[in-house]
Amino acid sequence: MQLAVEGEEKMSIVPKETIEVIAQSIGITNLSPEAALMLAPDVEYRVREIMQEAIKCMRHSKRTTLTASDVDGALNLRNLEPIYGFGSGGPIRFRKAIGHRDLFYTDDREVDFKDVIEAPLPKAPLDTEIVCHWLAIEGVQPAIPENAPLEVIRAPAENQIYQQKDGPLIDIRLPVKHVLSKELQLYFQKIAELTLSKSNPSLFKEALVSLASDSGLHPLVPYFTNFIADEVSRGLNDFLLLFNLMHVVRSLLQNPHIHIEPYLHQLMPSVVTCLVSRKLGNRFADNHWDLRDFTANLVALICKRFGNTYITLQSRLTKTLVNALLDPKKALTQHYGAIQGLAALGHNVVRLLVLSNLEPYLSLLEPELDAEKQKNQMKSYEAWRVYGAILRAAGLCIHDRLKIFPTLPSPSPSFPSKGKGKVISTEPNKRKLGVDSSENRSPHKRLIATDGSDGGPSPMQVDRPTGDANPPQNSVRPSSSEQASDGNAPESRNAKEKDDSKGRAITRKAILDQIWKDDLDSGRLLVKLHQLYGDRILPFIPSTEMSLFL
Amino acid sequence: MDPEQVDEFVMGYLKKKGFNSAAKQLQEALHHNNGGTFNSTDYHNDPELTKLIRSFSQSENDPTRYRDGYSKLRSWAYNSLDLYKHELLRVMYPVFIHCYMDLVGKGHTREARAFFNSFRKDHEMIHLRDLQKLEGVLVPSHLEEMEFARSLRQSKVNIKICQYSYDLLLQYLHRTESTLMLGIINEHINFQVYSGQPNSSSDDIDAVTIVGSFQETADHINQKEIQWGLLEDSLEDRLEKTGSLLSDSEKGQGESKDGDVDDSKKRSNEIGKQGSSLKKLKKDKAGNATAKVARQETSIVSPAPRVKPELALPVMSTDVEESILEDLRNRVQLSSVAMPSVSFYTFVNTHNGLNCASISHDGSLVAGGFSDSSIKVWNMAKIGQAGSGALQGESDTNDQNVGPNGRRNYTLLLGHSGPVYSATFSPPGDFVLSSSADTTIRLWSTQLNANLVCYKGHNYPVWDVQFSPFGHYFASCSHDRTARIWSMDRVQPLRIMAGHLSDVDVSVSLTIVRCVQWHPNCNYIATGSSDKTVRLWDVQTGECVRIFIGHRSMVLSLAMSPDGRYMASGDEDGTIMMWDLSTARCITPLMGHNSCVWSLSYSGEGSLLASGSADCTVKLWDVTSSTKLTKAEEKNGNTNRLRSLRTFPTKSTPVHALRFSRRNLLFAAGALSKPAS
Repeated sequence: MQLAVEGEEKMSIVPKETIEVIAQSIGITNLSPEAALMLAPDVEYRVREIMQEAIKCMRHSKRTTLTASDVDGALNLRNLEPIYGFGSGGPIRFRKAIGHRDLFYTDDREVDFKDVIEAPLPKAPLDTEIVCHWLAIEGVQPAIPENAPLEVIRAPAENQIYQQKDGPLIDIRLPVKHVLSKELQLYFQKIAELTLSKSNPSLFKEALVSLASDSGLHPLVPYFTNFIADEVSRGLNDFLLLFNLMHVVRSLLQNPHIHIEPYLHQLMPSVVTCLVSRKLGNRFADNHWDLRDFTANLVALICKRFGNTYITLQSRLTKTLVNALLDPKKALTQHYGAIQGLAALGHNVVRLLVLSNLEPYLSLLEPELDAEKQKNQMKSYEAWRVYGAILRAAGLCIHDRLKIFPTLPSPSPSFPSKGKGKVISTEPNKRKLGVDSSENRSPHKRLIATDGSDGGPSPMQVDRPTGDANPPQNSVRPSSSEQASDGNAPESRNAKEKDDSKGRAITRKAILDQIWKDDLDSGRLLVKLHQLYGDRILPFIPSTEMSLFL
Repeated sequence: MDPEQVDEFVMGYLKKKGFNSAAKQLQEALHHNNGGTFNSTDYHNDPELTKLIRSFSQSENDPTRYRDGYSKLRSWAYNSLDLYKHELLRVMYPVFIHCYMDLVGKGHTREARAFFNSFRKDHEMIHLRDLQKLEGVLVPSHLEEMEFARSLRQSKVNIKICQYSYDLLLQYLHRTESTLMLGIINEHINFQVYSGQPNSSSDDIDAVTIVGSFQETADHINQKEIQWGLLEDSLEDRLEKTGSLLSDSEKGQGESKDGDVDDSKKRSNEIGKQGSSLKKLKKDKAGNATAKVARQETSIVSPAPRVKPELALPVMSTDVEESILEDLRNRVQLSSVAMPSVSFYTFVNTHNGLNCASISHDGSLVAGGFSDSSIKVWNMAKIGQAGSGALQGESDTNDQNVGPNGRRNYTLLLGHSGPVYSATFSPPGDFVLSSSADTTIRLWSTQLNANLVCYKGHNYPVWDVQFSPFGHYFASCSHDRTARIWSMDRVQPLRIMAGHLSDVDVSVSLTIVRCVQWHPNCNYIATGSSDKTVRLWDVQTGECVRIFIGHRSMVLSLAMSPDGRYMASGDEDGTIMMWDLSTARCITPLMGHNSCVWSLSYSGEGSLLASGSADCTVKLWDVTSSTKLTKAEEKNGNTNRLRSLRTFPTKSTPVHALRFSRRNLLFAAGALSKPAS
């Protein structure tokens, strides 16, 4: 090999250390550094030469990818021994050497001989075949599967054409390609991970905060709804997961930048599942009651926010819940969830839907409550939970009703007499309530707020009190008061009216009639509840009212 | 400047160069001068000369001078007027590579590398492949060893430049005293100065030709006369005969015309009148009646002259001749408005092993050469009639068969001991020739399914082999830098086309021959080479008669137009060039493919060119319009581009082979490759 007689340091891709290592590997130990230095550029030249030849071999094999066999062919052309031998088919896997940024080695695993011998024979490779097709017929490419699809060539971005079969008049809109940025994808992955992992509650809390406040998350909403729906259906046994998911739902609802309405229909089934499912979590220690309470509030929140836009939302929801409650075959846990859900929707719902069914339900619950008849402690505990829930719902309802009574109202003297008369004849009362509840479910009715929904401008309700001919006493009332009243100022008649109307535009007459009727109903209710619950209802009744009744 | 100082410089220079006696003499002369008799030399008073002397005295070996000189020249060229800029920039590339090689030659490897890397970006766009070759040159011995570098060192670069640009350049070089650059330019660039405005087209192909002295040789070679016309008494002639007579006795008639020059002229006039019938293939058999009607249309293309064969051509059997005539009679006339049908043969499950594919003239047989040294031949007429409906019109003439095999649909031909690089069918389809990396060419019979002859002669892998248009003879080309002509009945080659047989200069640059193609009249073969040139060789004398320069990367495929007037060549970058054989000039480059052009084929009457490429497309080019237009526009000096008519993309199948059947059905073949995941 010729070498230039130069003492100067060479600059080559191949460092002299490599030459030294190679020399050592073939048994030359006394290679001087100068020799290595001089060899380096020549080695580079030879390697380049061989690669150039290998590329020529590749071209003659009509390929565009260089293979080991090409390099072997190039070595053959130079009368050198091929170094690669038989190719192993698969690509060579390189591994990064630890501690070096750009040093790689081939992953040469030890293979157990036994494994190789006992391994099943691989499938025989398919034999070479020729398939014939028309690439073009008189210059036109036929649209057959063998040919490259034309759409791909013309518009690579849209690889499918969306077809609507509704009719020719509808203009076909191509689906907009949804591009999710890398950052959002990462965000979604991270949130999903946190939700599923349950290991890092503090981080999860921060994630929830971020979900509830960050703007720009809107593109992720469909992914989140899908994720929640999937995970709820899959993870009904995983209590913590369900709880996490519900937290995610709440955070999404809270986020002011997210427009979640279009996805509610996808979200609601999962949420309702968490409310009234027979079994949530598989361990005894799982406090599924908490989850149900939490979800009940969530449901109420949803109804409150989107009742306006989704008219049928609440009616459908209450229907589902009432069905769950009134079905004696359903488990007590489901009853509990239904009661909590209804209670969260407000006392009007409770009054219309729960209290009307209270008597038969309690009779159903009675045997479960009795410690002697129900030997199963678990069942008895559940029954008591249900009983407590229903009592609380009823109690809160009656409390709310009574609170709004005037302290010394002029019509108050008539209450006891009227009320008692009605209580005696329970039959018509129930029928009337039945009418009310059916109205409640009617799709035309607008439910603006959860409480006070009764005050809706239902013509039937307005007409009926006028038929009763109970003239209102206070004729001058500001009808459209915009102030939000929290309802604990019962001393003023103004406030009472506000409470009832909740700022809705109803005619003054209707409002007054409504108050009158409500008062009557309240009185009846209280008596009934007292009959059913005995003294347990008393703590819910404000002291001022108590004096009135007792 | 102080005269004493000058003298000192001269002294130092002489000493450094080892001219001791001269130094002594000078010293004596100086002493003598100091005596004060007379001053014989006037160099003391000539400032130009003084400067020159001083520049010589500067450290001769200083490698930074190259870098400085080049970068100054470069910035000057880039800042020159737009009008002259592109002409001046042409100078940069040769200066660049010679600077680099000078640096390497003087042993400044580190500086050479740095110099190369800092300026290589400028030239990468056009000269990428050359740069990749040169990059490996690091020590002076490499310069000697590497052919490419050696040829660069020995030859001059021709650069066309207008008078004004030339003056600008000289002015600059003198003003800045950059003698180094001036030296390089003088040594390696040959300016062809022309008067007038600079050429506007910056990508003029003739503007820069790297191998300058070689160019002269090429010019000289290209002066030689070639007979590009078709053979007299060709089948096409006979077809005309039979077409007009509508008789079955064409053979006897045809043979009686031998050597009748006047008659052949007449016939050639008639041949132009061959119809441009736009019949569909299905109607091929409608017979001569339709063909005759259609034949009344005339085309304007001037008829090709007729030449006599230089080789003793094989005698064709009557029935083969009949079938060819039948095919020619039923040929679909193609043009830019009448496109051919394309039947595509896709090889599946090749496991990346298909090296070449070949289709017989009637499209019924397909051969594949594989890297596991096997050849597989499929008889498409026999494989499912449904799939090969295309063949029904074509296969009626095909009387050979591939032995039916219970297991496979193909005939396996084993014999080679290395990857098979090429296969070719004889015109009637009864023989297959294959060339392999084991340096042999083998002849196989498709009737016997056996190896008949093994031709040994090449010393290196044989890249390509092609049957002559009439069979019997075949040409091969190899890595050993020769192309050889063989006949089937001899195991030794008849001719060896090697550089040393023609010219010394040529041998320098003649590198590995890539592909070979026969001229339709069998008197010439063309070879494409990795030195980016295409050559035309006379078969009889073995001389190189044309050199076609213009490709920018290695030539991979060649095709000759049926009238023998034009040639198309495709290269590694996807450029196709169409050449006029008589003038050896490129008519027009065809741009469109973006990867290697593996295959080219002219349609039967030469109006369309089909190209198949590694970018998984088959493209059709309209070559008639362009050739006509070029003639008209040649005066305007306007280069027009051939029209790309159609592009047929395949489903990730690089197109390895193309063939127009005699009836102008286009067959294409390629191996389905999994798209890179």
